[in-house]
Amino acid sequence: MKLSENWLREWANPDWSTNELAEALSLAGLEVDNVEPVAGEFSNVVVGQVVSVEKHPDADKLNVTQVDVGEQDLLQIVCGAKNVVSGMKACCAKVGAVLPGDFKIKKAKLRGVPSNGMLCGATEIGLEDDGVDGLLVLPDDAPIGMDVRDYLDLNDSMIDVDLTPNRADCLSIEGIARDVAAISEVEIKSPFESADIEYAGTCPQKVTVAESQACPKYLGCVVTDYDAQAKTPLWMMQKLQRGGIRTLGLVVDITNYVLLELGQPMHAFDLDKLQGGIQVRKAKTGEKLVTLDDKELTLNDGTLVIADDSGAIALAGIMGGLPTSVTDETTRLFFECAHFTPLAIVGKAREYGLHTDSSHRFERGVDPALPERALNRALQLFTEIAGGQVSEVESVISQDDLAQPVTIELRRQPLAKRLGAEVEDKRVESIFKGLGFAVESSEDGWRVTAPTYRFDMAIEMDLVEEVGRIYGYNNLPDTPVMAPMTLNELPESEQELHALKTALVQRGYSEVITYSFVEEGKQQQLSPDLPYVLLKNPISDDMKAMRTTLFPGLLQTISYNQNRQQPRVRIFETGLVFYKNESDPTGATQVPMVGGAVVGSVADSGWDEVSRKVDFFDIKGDVETLLRMSHQLGTIRFESCEHPALHPGQSAAMIKDGKEVGIIGKLHPKLVKGMGVSEDVFLFQIRQDALMTMQVPAAQMISKFPEVQRDLAFVVADSVPVQALLDAVMAVESEILQAVDLFDIYRGQGVDEDQKSVALTLKIQHHERTLQDEEVDSLIERVLDSAKRAVNAVLR
Amino acid sequence: MQQKLQAIISQAQEAISEVSELAQLDELRVEYLGKKGSLTEIMKTMGQLTPEERPQAGQMINQAKQQVQSLLNAKKKELDDAKLAKQLAEESIDVTLPGRGVDLGGLHPVTRTLRRIETLFSKAGFDVETGPEIEDDWHNFEALNIPETHPARAMHDTFYINENTVLRTHTSGVQIRTMEAKQPPMRVIAPGRVYRCDSDQTHTPMFHQVEGLIIEKEASFAQLRALLIEFLKQFFEDDELKVRFRPSYFPFTEPSAEVDIATNLFGDGRWIEVLGCGMVHPNVLKNVGVDPEEYTGLAFGLGVERLAMLRYNVKDLRQFFENDLRFLKQFK
Repeated sequence: MKLSENWLREWANPDWSTNELAEALSLAGLEVDNVEPVAGEFSNVVVGQVVSVEKHPDADKLNVTQVDVGEQDLLQIVCGAKNVVSGMKACCAKVGAVLPGDFKIKKAKLRGVPSNGMLCGATEIGLEDDGVDGLLVLPDDAPIGMDVRDYLDLNDSMIDVDLTPNRADCLSIEGIARDVAAISEVEIKSPFESADIEYAGTCPQKVTVAESQACPKYLGCVVTDYDAQAKTPLWMMQKLQRGGIRTLGLVVDITNYVLLELGQPMHAFDLDKLQGGIQVRKAKTGEKLVTLDDKELTLNDGTLVIADDSGAIALAGIMGGLPTSVTDETTRLFFECAHFTPLAIVGKAREYGLHTDSSHRFERGVDPALPERALNRALQLFTEIAGGQVSEVESVISQDDLAQPVTIELRRQPLAKRLGAEVEDKRVESIFKGLGFAVESSEDGWRVTAPTYRFDMAIEMDLVEEVGRIYGYNNLPDTPVMAPMTLNELPESEQELHALKTALVQRGYSEVITYSFVEEGKQQQLSPDLPYVLLKNPISDDMKAMRTTLFPGLLQTISYNQNRQQPRVRIFETGLVFYKNESDPTGATQVPMVGGAVVGSVADSGWDEVSRKVDFFDIKGDVETLLRMSHQLGTIRFESCEHPALHPGQSAAMIKDGKEVGIIGKLHPKLVKGMGVSEDVFLFQIRQDALMTMQVPAAQMISKFPEVQRDLAFVVADSVPVQALLDAVMAVESEILQAVDLFDIYRGQGVDEDQKSVALTLKIQHHERTLQDEEVDSLIERVLDSAKRAVNAVLR
Repeated sequence: MQQKLQAIISQAQEAISEVSELAQLDELRVEYLGKKGSLTEIMKTMGQLTPEERPQAGQMINQAKQQVQSLLNAKKKELDDAKLAKQLAEESIDVTLPGRGVDLGGLHPVTRTLRRIETLFSKAGFDVETGPEIEDDWHNFEALNIPETHPARAMHDTFYINENTVLRTHTSGVQIRTMEAKQPPMRVIAPGRVYRCDSDQTHTPMFHQVEGLIIEKEASFAQLRALLIEFLKQFFEDDELKVRFRPSYFPFTEPSAEVDIATNLFGDGRWIEVLGCGMVHPNVLKNVGVDPEEYTGLAFGLGVERLAMLRYNVKDLRQFFENDLRFLKQFK
């Protein structure tokens, strides 16, 4: 909410500077976003009347004016503004004036004609641009010679308060003044007194309320015989403008003024456009209404409307209708001042894509006791400015449906315990009284009755908060949290994600964080088989699908960096992927993953060797590091696989206990262009849960007996995976075969085409004794036999 | 004999001085001191001498042998030294050239910040919890005292999957999940991604929060304030950090506050909002079956990107998710 500081100070005026006031508001929970002076710094600018205007003898676009500033002599001022006319009143900067930007006005000659001052436009004195190309035109009754700062009340600031939804009571000058009074402990005083309006004759406009729960109070009255030409006075325009509201003619301005001043939304109808009695009812399905902003709405049947015999004429508490609105031709008015309950209005404006000052307030709660006062105030202002005959007030009130004041028990002990501070009884009472609450002592503390404008008061903690807020959070003592000292669990068999991340970092990977929503089309290409979840309201069309794989984000990051002269990219990401799953309460299975991607050379250009491009085994080595760290190198197996995102000849699934837990491979060449990347990209992705369990080490005695090594070179068909040969060797049951290492693969001379030689070292050792040659020979024989049977391997 | 010996020594001396390789030196050793060497030969002539002459002659020969031996030794050392010096010279490298190995990558600045936060709170006995990012209405709103009709829902710019599921708008839902699963007392933090349907210079549709929750029998708002002030001072390593608590509103806490910091280390000394906090609303405790008369909850939510920006001098929020390596590599 925006407001004029001076207006606020008419209600509550503590001895604080503007900045102190703003700080105090923020610290009371009414956060001040911005404070802006209404005008720039300037001095010595007065109201002047242009007495004569003559063409400059030597310049087409300039005029020579004589200006009366209330001094003995007229001032001759050369002026270039287009709208300067004789008789007008304008802002005149005299010689010696200083305008915003430290612009000093001196005696001057313009094309040979002396000029003793300057006539100013709005922006030249630091006012908001009024859209006029030329001088700021002042009203005819502006007193000549008066300082413009005083005349336009420019020693004022606009304060922008960002109110939380619970503080609807502060959506008015009066409301904020109440809090200012409470925190500064000054008296709040209304700058006007309730007016004695002469109500003459019964209200000709009848009102019936069908929905008394939604609208427990509806007041209306008719005004006739007023001066339809009456204009909004300058002071009112200024207060509205400083409250962020445009002036739209006297009638609307007055309803808006009351809205700002007291917080009561009102509406005025053109009485002559109403047909029959006013009804407050629910809209009928399909009923239409053209709103003030000239949009035709088809109403939903839950919507509360104001209607006459012709149908809906206003969205209750949200916006009036165009056909019955007040225009320049209007001569008879019907003022509406009603109370709508928050539940009747909440969410309704949004249904129609609307948000108005009125709906904003009614949704959050307007004081049900306010309509009488607000209508009186509006009529007071209206009759003072435009005169007129006021009818008696038509009022439909359902006392039972009006919210009653709430009384809440506040116990002394919980107050001190929850707040963590002892606040004196006297202070507690003065805080509540200052805020307009009624307080009486009770056995354990107080019985506190909240005023009807405080919709946020329901339970004891609400009162605790009020005491804390006005007492000042920053005055609370520094007390440490007291809790029993307990040690947290430290499961050693759980891998830490951070350790895995650090390992990747040490292998040159940079961690990235990409959006969890990705382009649907790319996801379909990279992961066509997994069901995914779509956002109903994505921020843009290319961020619509919840990712089922980390690949889209990784590839996009590679593309982004390749386009910025970063040819070598090594990145990883951890995070959830989401598989659509109707049987999960959230509609998705959400799986933590770790994924990575590399492209470019193995190392940043070295000085002693030609750097080569990364290949499958580079990234596999990185993945194996993760497996090794988590003791999964033996349990997770790599098996050649087909994956839509990957090269069929360079991709593997990672299998643990028969289930796929990850994939690794080269981006399929047919996808390279579409993903916006260049060169061979290698990718991996593993479920985090496959990496999270480790073994706690259980050390074994080191054998004192010598280890025997035997090298065996097998010849197998080229199509046989080396893993199959290794499996065959390891399948031999033996307590002395400790390890098998692969040390060479050879194709070429001496080995038939379509065959390869695979050389293994067998490490053989017994824990308790020295091995006999026969034992070793027997083992080797069994190894050869197993290899022969499994993969038809023969010794080279 | 003396003359003879002298001649041999001079001869040996000359020969040794001309030697340039160890093998030659060895040949010389054999030539003079070997079984058939010239000094050994002279030794053999001792039999021709009288017994009286022998000791003196023996002594002379031995001296000569020693002399030659020491000449040989000296030369050997000289040659060894030269050889080593040569080897060392040959093996010299430019030690200023960079070592081999992979350049380090780096953790994302958000991770780095999260880690710092987690470490601070873990050391104070907080457990780290996580929760789902696609969340149901109950955990994201309803249980947190934000019913369907609440105006606060409009403040959340929620991404919807369908009527009942959303992308979580805050990590506060993990509070609910934790309290549903565990018995009080408890001390937990819950870091993670959250989502809001908002994107401009100062908003990204995804960002990170750390939720904190303490449930104790005796806990006060003053304690929450003291804890968070201490956290901020430790996080920024700035004892002079100015912190202010500003009353605010969250449906799931009461009293509620937003916390601003000001320092001359960064920014221009103006107040910058960094977190929201409060005492868990009694309705929220009731929603998860905790008696608000018996237990009190303290809760807070930290904006991770904001803390990271202040801590690491990042000027543009969007950089966190562009993942430009030239940016990321500054966080090694």
